[in-house]
Amino acid sequence: MKYTERKVAFPRYAEYNAALKYLLENGLGVSCIVPPPLSDRTLKLGAKYSPDFVCTPFKITLGSMIEALESGANTLLMAYGICKLGYYGELQEQILRDLGYDFDFINLEVYNTGKKKAFIDMAKAVNPRVNMPKCTAVFFEALNMGAHLDEITAEYYQNCGFAADRHAYQAIYKNFISEMYSANSALQIGHAYREARRAMLEQKIEKPANPLRVGITGDFYTAVDAFSNANVEQRLADMGVEVHRWINVTNRMLRYPGEKNLNIKIKDYCRYEMGPNSTANIWATKDYAERGFDGVLHVKAAACTPEIDIMPVLQNISRDYKMPVLYLTYDSQTSDVGLVTRLEAFYDMIAMRKKVFR
Amino acid sequence: MSESLKIGIPRALLYHRYKTLWRTFFESLGCEVIVSSATTQETYKQGSALAIDEACLSLKIFLGHVNELVGKCDYIFIPGINNYGRGRDVCSRYAALYDIAENAFKNSGQRFLGASIDVIEGITEEDALKSVIMTVGFNERQAKEAYRIAKKEYEKEKKAAVAAQAQLLKQQGTKILVAAHSYVFDDDFMGKGITDYLKKNGITVIRADVIDHEEGRKLSKKLSPTCRWELNREILGGIEKYRNYVSGIILVSTFPCGTDAMVNELLVRRLGKMPVLTLVLDGQTGTAGLETRLESFLDIIHFKEAGK
Repeated sequence: MKYTERKVAFPRYAEYNAALKYLLENGLGVSCIVPPPLSDRTLKLGAKYSPDFVCTPFKITLGSMIEALESGANTLLMAYGICKLGYYGELQEQILRDLGYDFDFINLEVYNTGKKKAFIDMAKAVNPRVNMPKCTAVFFEALNMGAHLDEITAEYYQNCGFAADRHAYQAIYKNFISEMYSANSALQIGHAYREARRAMLEQKIEKPANPLRVGITGDFYTAVDAFSNANVEQRLADMGVEVHRWINVTNRMLRYPGEKNLNIKIKDYCRYEMGPNSTANIWATKDYAERGFDGVLHVKAAACTPEIDIMPVLQNISRDYKMPVLYLTYDSQTSDVGLVTRLEAFYDMIAMRKKVFR
Repeated sequence: MSESLKIGIPRALLYHRYKTLWRTFFESLGCEVIVSSATTQETYKQGSALAIDEACLSLKIFLGHVNELVGKCDYIFIPGINNYGRGRDVCSRYAALYDIAENAFKNSGQRFLGASIDVIEGITEEDALKSVIMTVGFNERQAKEAYRIAKKEYEKEKKAAVAAQAQLLKQQGTKILVAAHSYVFDDDFMGKGITDYLKKNGITVIRADVIDHEEGRKLSKKLSPTCRWELNREILGGIEKYRNYVSGIILVSTFPCGTDAMVNELLVRRLGKMPVLTLVLDGQTGTAGLETRLESFLDIIHFKEAGK
């Protein structure tokens, strides 16, 4: 297929789709199709064609790819990464081919050689005639958009539970997200970001002096993607909780202090790197505990090996600091009743503890 | 040192791959090596109680073995592996093993010996083993010599196993390739039931994981170009190498092994007309279900052979 005919799509991931779309259209010069928002249908489709006990993000991203093809995409892009993610691409392509779909597949894992020119190879796989200097500049603009998305999202979940006018506060956030999807220049991105910040600051926030604070940790897909975690942040915030989540693309990729530097802070609990996000999540949990948070949610996909492996460590941190940790595992079930019950019980427990220990 | 150091090694996971290397290494330094006994239902029960519910059968069994050794030796040896180089990863559980065990046995007072092989960061197998033994008072020269002896033994054993398998390939009669990690294949509680049944029925069992490691890695690219898991790549290479000698392939994994779940799904889709049986082992002790499936698989193979 000629690159000019390419309609590139990728599986959805939180709201970072906006930044990827921006990079593909403005930097790589191809047209981009963003698949429909993740839904129960996405998950069911993906689960139907996936091996049973592969981790849940595999199923969701496979479902999202099918929906992308249904939406008219003819080229699929799959990310590379450590852990099982690196193998998603090859197996998902095989499954889609066996289903009979016709498409180009760009598996970035193939170009993940660790060499400096790997990024150039990846860009050229999408568009062989890419203008590299321009693409690089747009890449940093897209990263910047990601940072704005993370910052506004963090601000939103820390305050939305206390906004005097919750609907207005949420409308500002939603509006900002849709502005990011339609942005076509760095100027537009910057403008929308500043507008959103200003509007959020103008809203009245009625937060008590010592509110309930809960930290969210977990795997890099499920903890960050609102559909995958059944909107756990919003649900918790709505109960009147300040919700913090360290893990996001900006903190993990751009502001990451490095494995070794982070490991120093948790060496009482863990001697080696236990997995791709393990050091970060153990550190974040310990950090929440030291800052006197009322609890932590460990949000992970079923069969996420590294996250299962850090659970014994988190249990020890929880015991030593006397801070409750709720372990949530998300599988391909679509009912959220069980989650709501557990969240409510967790909320009641930390609210009672707060009264007793204050 | 007046009294010899007692080093405990759990008979699980990588022990089955590296037993000669590790044993010879410690024993040539004068340490006493205590290996936990063969896996039983009790090992699994103990391990399950110590593990997170969602962990795989192999990890539960591993923790059962560690539990058996706690309090019986000076140190329990749990080496971790992060990678063998770029594009040569392992399941992240191997990197986490040491810390999982230490956190699970935090209040037992047991001391552990760990090391992490991370070739990308410049820590080779030799560095890791040397650092382990140097933390308990041996010097670098002793460690180096012990590693040299152990590595030689290990290579010799590996070569012998590959040569023995080459002889098996020449045998008449039905041959079946069993693709399983060595810690599944060699474990009394897991793989033994399968191989015993096959042998009882006159089948020659070929092991996919018995292959020169480098050759295995190279051949794996034909079946799955982007697979980076070292142990899976060796098995993939073994399948590629031996598939034309056998009448069928049995893919054995433990519940819920993530890497096997993905690789085996791909294999089933790519092996074409070859009869393939996928077996997932959990902690059940009854063998009736397993035997029914093996029996019907053998029937299929015998029908196919008769029709030729």
